[in-house]
Amino acid sequence: MSKPTPAESCSPPSQPAQALPDELHLLVEQHVQYVRSLDTRKDEYEYWLTEHLRLNGLYWGLTAVHLLGQPDALPRREVIDFVFSCVHENGGFGAAPGHDTHMLYTVSAVQIIATLDAFDELEERVDGGRKTVGKFIASLQERDTGTFAGDEWGETDTRFLYGALNALSLLHLLHLVDMDKAVEHIQACENFDGGYGTGPGAESHAGQVFTCLAALSIAGRLDLVDRDRLGGWLSDRQLPNGGLNGRPEKKEDVCYSWWVGSSLAMIDRLHWIDSNKLAKFILQSQDPDRGGITDRPGDMVDVYHTVFGLAGLSLIKHPGLMEVDPV
Amino acid sequence: MSGHGVPRVSAADDTRDAQKEQKKIEEYRTIVDLVNAKIAEREYTLEVLSLTEKVLKKNPEYYTVWNYRRLILQFHIETALTNNHDASISQDQPSDGRSPAQDTIHNLLTWDLSFIIPLLMQFPKCYWIWKYRLWLLSRATDLLPASWPKSLWNKELELVSKMLARDERNFHGWGYRRTIIASLEKIAQEGGDGESNMVEQEFEYTTRMIKSNLSNFSAWHNRSKLIPRLLDERGANNEDRRDMLDSEFSLIQEAMTDPDNQSVFFYHQFLMSTLSPTNPRHAAIALDLTNTDRVAIYEREIENIKELLEDFDDCKLIYQILLQYTKEYLDFEAGNKTVTTAEMREWLAQLRKLDFLRNGRWNDVERDLGL
Repeated sequence: MSKPTPAESCSPPSQPAQALPDELHLLVEQHVQYVRSLDTRKDEYEYWLTEHLRLNGLYWGLTAVHLLGQPDALPRREVIDFVFSCVHENGGFGAAPGHDTHMLYTVSAVQIIATLDAFDELEERVDGGRKTVGKFIASLQERDTGTFAGDEWGETDTRFLYGALNALSLLHLLHLVDMDKAVEHIQACENFDGGYGTGPGAESHAGQVFTCLAALSIAGRLDLVDRDRLGGWLSDRQLPNGGLNGRPEKKEDVCYSWWVGSSLAMIDRLHWIDSNKLAKFILQSQDPDRGGITDRPGDMVDVYHTVFGLAGLSLIKHPGLMEVDPV
Repeated sequence: MSGHGVPRVSAADDTRDAQKEQKKIEEYRTIVDLVNAKIAEREYTLEVLSLTEKVLKKNPEYYTVWNYRRLILQFHIETALTNNHDASISQDQPSDGRSPAQDTIHNLLTWDLSFIIPLLMQFPKCYWIWKYRLWLLSRATDLLPASWPKSLWNKELELVSKMLARDERNFHGWGYRRTIIASLEKIAQEGGDGESNMVEQEFEYTTRMIKSNLSNFSAWHNRSKLIPRLLDERGANNEDRRDMLDSEFSLIQEAMTDPDNQSVFFYHQFLMSTLSPTNPRHAAIALDLTNTDRVAIYEREIENIKELLEDFDDCKLIYQILLQYTKEYLDFEAGNKTVTTAEMREWLAQLRKLDFLRNGRWNDVERDLGL
């Protein structure tokens, strides 16, 4: 995420954006308002039922406002205070204060710390700082298989492997893990269609393809990927309405704009899908009244689909968004 | 995730009653606060266990509360083991292999396994429930004589078959099924009874699933993973392996009658991918193919697929596959008596017409094939 993209591509250059129907332009202000409203919804039951996603949600919301070019829309100090209210002594983070540590939330915490450049605060507020967090993450690697567990209770998944490498790379502590073993494990998850699943033997799934490619990218081993085969599978995820699905013969969903789109970008095949139609599908999934983006047109919005819709648009250089790094 | 497939209600139509909403929130928070307080005090009682149930029924995604259940069960398991030890029942177990502690543990675990079933049925895509279930089973496997976990895992096999009948693409279900099979095989290999090799039966299962719905790609996928192992387990010789390849080609040939059924074409691509001489053993079927054999198979399959065009000349998948196979075929440095440049150009033109979404991809195919 660095510089604003030049205004090009999706909307015809001769036509001012205001002349487009509402649903076909990016509702920047509504989305920012939507993200800002998320923490003021304590009178909604849903707010309490989603407490187990709070730290992820904060990362998604923060990334959304950064992509929208309004990084200060969420108060830095409060965000950082919340992040550190979720940390445990072992260096792991829970979803919210009092929730147990897990890889998923630890990664979100590190991503927020990196986004806000709060590494000094990390050293001040956590005993042992960056190294404690790094050790927690590295301790979840299975020595014999190279994959990672989510927490002390065992479940392993390529999502956790990617999360670990992503966070450790942001912390500059990649040397704490056995990278060769991790790469070997990803290779064991590869299928004949070029895609990857949650573990060895599991069916290819676009979300898992993203995690495996991004992990290989961090490891500097994208040379192991059969780009044409996987690129073919990924581009076949685009359906006639422009949206992308996550597996063959499944419905489209805005979040795959990111999982599929960024995967294609990592293997230099983003031009294998129709960006204009994808942009249209994402823009149609906006809620014009209250802001936010949904899984597909007409459904309820949430912050997860909002950020991955925006990230998808950013990837295909839709005007008005900051540029995003596919990994 | 709250937003998956939930229809939007506009602000004006939002009739949620604020008072009712408030009451629901209060009830929920009261029970959550209570459970948190009890666990903070290490009150690992069965009463608290049933309190966690109330939370999880309202919110199965509350992973920390699943962890609370683990802590409580661990505590009771350890207590049972300690009491057993203190009663100094000698290490010679009764002939039925059960100690009182094991009885207690078995009861705790089976009771919990039953409790989760309705939740799993209601929330079949909730990672935490599947994960918790596996944890219970792993405790049973570690702590109980093999015949018990074996029967528990067998019940899981029935359960997951039911789940996959309800949603045949649930990847949690398929992953769970693979874990069940691996666990049952391990128990048998470690001296318990049962099948130490269930690959034949799982192969049959994919056959049944495919026959009931050819579009079930998850079943085709699983089949692609089972075949190489099946051949190893059978101790198949080169001829057996070639036979397997042939019979899979015949199966798929019969199924390729509906070009909208993508899964069938994907499986055909799998069979073709096994021909590559660089494939590792776990991704190969026939092991002694010569280049001449490969060329012959490519020629036969390209011809077969070309024939499909007579009935389905508007199916983009057919053109796509023909171009893919042609490229691979040419890489084997075949004399190429099967495909003409004019044909390839025609296929590409059709693809551009039928599938303009992927025009960038077809540009690259054109370049790579030098068309």
